Amino acid sequence: MSREANLSVAEREFVLEALRQGQRLDGRQADQYRPLSISFGEEYGHVKLQLGKTSLVVRISAEVTKPRDERPFDGLFNINVELSAMGSPAWENGRSNDAEAYVANVVDRVVRHSNALDTESLCIVQGVSCWSIRADVHVLDFDGNLTDAVCIAVMTGLQHFRRPDAVVRDGQVIVYGIDERVPVALNITHKPLSVTFNAFNEGKNLILDASLKEELASEGELVIGINNGGEVCFLSKFAGAPVDAHDIVEKSNVALEKVKEINARIDKVLLADLSRRGKKGMMEESRAENDREIDSRTTTVV
Amino acid sequence: MVGPTVSLSGLRRADGSASYKCPVTGYDVLGAVNAPVELPARKDALRPEDATIEVFVKPGNTTAGVGEGYVESVLRSVLGSIVLGREKGFPRRGVVITLAIIGGEAVERGDSYLTILPALLHASLLALISAAVPLSMTFATTLLAVTPSGQIVQDPPVEDVANAVSLHVLAFSSKGHLLLNESQGRFDFETWESVREQAASICQGANPRGSDGDTAMDDESKDGTLDNFIREAMEDHLHRVYSWKIESN
Amino acid sequence: MSTPLVLLPGDEVPSDHLPPANNNPLKLGPGLKLLSEPTPASEKPRHVLTATQAGILSTDAKRNTVSLLSFPNRRYIPTVNDLVIAQIHHSSADYFHCMVTPHTAHALLGQLSFEGANKKTRPMLKQGELVYARVLSVGLGAGAEVEITCVNPATGKADGGLGPLVGGMVFDITTGMAARLIRASSSSPDDDDAVDGLVVLSELGRKLESIGGFEIAVGRNGKVWVDCSNAGDSAVKATIALGRCLQGTDEHNLNPADQKKLVSKVLREFKLA
Repeated sequence: MSREANLSVAEREFVLEALRQGQRLDGRQADQYRPLSISFGEEYGHVKLQLGKTSLVVRISAEVTKPRDERPFDGLFNINVELSAMGSPAWENGRSNDAEAYVANVVDRVVRHSNALDTESLCIVQGVSCWSIRADVHVLDFDGNLTDAVCIAVMTGLQHFRRPDAVVRDGQVIVYGIDERVPVALNITHKPLSVTFNAFNEGKNLILDASLKEELASEGELVIGINNGGEVCFLSKFAGAPVDAHDIVEKSNVALEKVKEINARIDKVLLADLSRRGKKGMMEESRAENDREIDSRTTTVV
Repeated sequence: MVGPTVSLSGLRRADGSASYKCPVTGYDVLGAVNAPVELPARKDALRPEDATIEVFVKPGNTTAGVGEGYVESVLRSVLGSIVLGREKGFPRRGVVITLAIIGGEAVERGDSYLTILPALLHASLLALISAAVPLSMTFATTLLAVTPSGQIVQDPPVEDVANAVSLHVLAFSSKGHLLLNESQGRFDFETWESVREQAASICQGANPRGSDGDTAMDDESKDGTLDNFIREAMEDHLHRVYSWKIESN
Repeated sequence: MSTPLVLLPGDEVPSDHLPPANNNPLKLGPGLKLLSEPTPASEKPRHVLTATQAGILSTDAKRNTVSLLSFPNRRYIPTVNDLVIAQIHHSSADYFHCMVTPHTAHALLGQLSFEGANKKTRPMLKQGELVYARVLSVGLGAGAEVEITCVNPATGKADGGLGPLVGGMVFDITTGMAARLIRASSSSPDDDDAVDGLVVLSELGRKLESIGGFEIAVGRNGKVWVDCSNAGDSAVKATIALGRCLQGTDEHNLNPADQKKLVSKVLREFKLA
């Protein structure tokens, strides 16, 4: 039961025929994402994301731990993707499957290997203690294109998360509670996202953000990890029908446009949520933040 | 006191689902049920005439450990006593219950898992009902803490849990059976007895029904009980789902 | 249904909600369990029923039935006589092994359970092909296998469009919606009671008639097969439009007026009406 049930011949052929005529099952254009909605829970780094009917929750957490021996200046960062039977009856609880390994690998490469989170800034005392940041992905409903959805949610979570402040005093690490001191935002170096295209009809049709039925009828997947600056940090075309090199260049441009759009959306919801938090009686926090801004300004003047 | 927040059948892929959020502890649990499904391995050989219940608890921001294993076994035994696993289509099939803790503080290693048990139990019950899995009855459950001064606190906030002398989770079936009694800490029988009484009144109202289930309760004593809360959540949901039917008549 | 009565698992059906006692056998829908039958000697002159699912109690005195309107998105459990859309998974010497519900055991379809099939001529169905079939038996006890058939065993005919489904498209709907669609399409449009507040199909039928109409088969296992191959160039558009109307009605529990609005909106979008 570790795989989605295959499509019937009728469904597969209909999806392909419709694409040949430029039609998708939900009436979308080839280069159109499904409606994206991002919201936040009460804690920092708790993101709820809905992309069409695919929905998931990401929670970011932090704890103090010991850095790896070979990288004493670096903190730790892990993305934990565990697919449970909640997201799809095809996924078996407590046992990993291909989909899990695939999504975990792509997200790891796009977000972690591209150093989107500056792990050096997580160091507290060299070789002794550092922050370990953990992203837990809970897939609630799976209806295709998990990779992009997870990337967007993890990147949003990292930007939303605030870790407790920690200082070193007399060789002792002191961690302040969130209500004792203004918690600290993570250091994000750039904002890469993955953009997934699925190929159909011998690579003639390439469509963005496939739904589950489309994914099951697809011949192959092209994933482009790219940031706002147009830097491609990941590109994969693992299997399936060949895709023309021109198409890859063309789709990279589409991907850049989409990533800019989505990142703008993320910025907007982040801003809205933070101002809501500011208003919601967290006066101390906003006051402290203002203080800090003034502080930094004065130092630059001096 | 603000009651818990419940929503039913929010997920599409799972056969049934429910979310349960407790305002005091902040726990937000999402439950999904897939049933009846084919189990991958022959886990059913021992009881071929019955359904196998699988429970999986996915913590919010850690990897599942011993604590999850413990609550899973508690959940399995409570839910096993209400699921009618011999109804049509269920024998030898699996009832797979997946619970994700998507909100609230993490249960630290070594902390008590009793605090989250009621939310997990309610989420599983509601998800089972949402998946239309045949059940013999429903239940309601609550967490009580006994403070050093001997007071009994319902749904205690974190600091009360830390200072509590003992913690108790009790579950009562809709027919008045005591389905679950998990306690930790030091307490004597008298304390437990008053804890049980209070839990019964929180779950079922002031005059609990006899085991025959025939004793009708007057509406007043039912108001505000957890039993009634679950009933109202179901009524609201079903009225909404069948609005086409109700309107057309 | 002025005050809909909601029952929870374990609740007893109040005796005043049962059809008046008569000699016909009482029929129970899913989610209800019979605890005791009336016997001449017993003190309680009525059936004692208890709910095993949560649902709205619905009684039909004319048909002498009691049923529970339960959660519509549940998983399909095969029941004798239900119409289903099954997908061939593989075949063996005597049977096609079919998928009726994903992630459950395969149902068996006899190689000869088709109209006019014999050992020499019989349909050669391949993996992934679809059939419209009726549940023949579900077996009893542990390890019971579900058997389906594409022919009425009594007449040897493929009544009601049973048999292989060629071409077209399948849309997933809830099992509750599937049951409603079957009731609505098997009754005359004048019978308001049986239409169950569903006008989406008749509305689509009327509006798509001019382009050639469509064929439809509804499986109780939550699948609808539609085929608009008569519509020529607009076949794909018409099929997608149909799927969106059916799924939209299902997802949002639309009332008849909103169903009509949805149909008009979708057809206008595809320039079909």
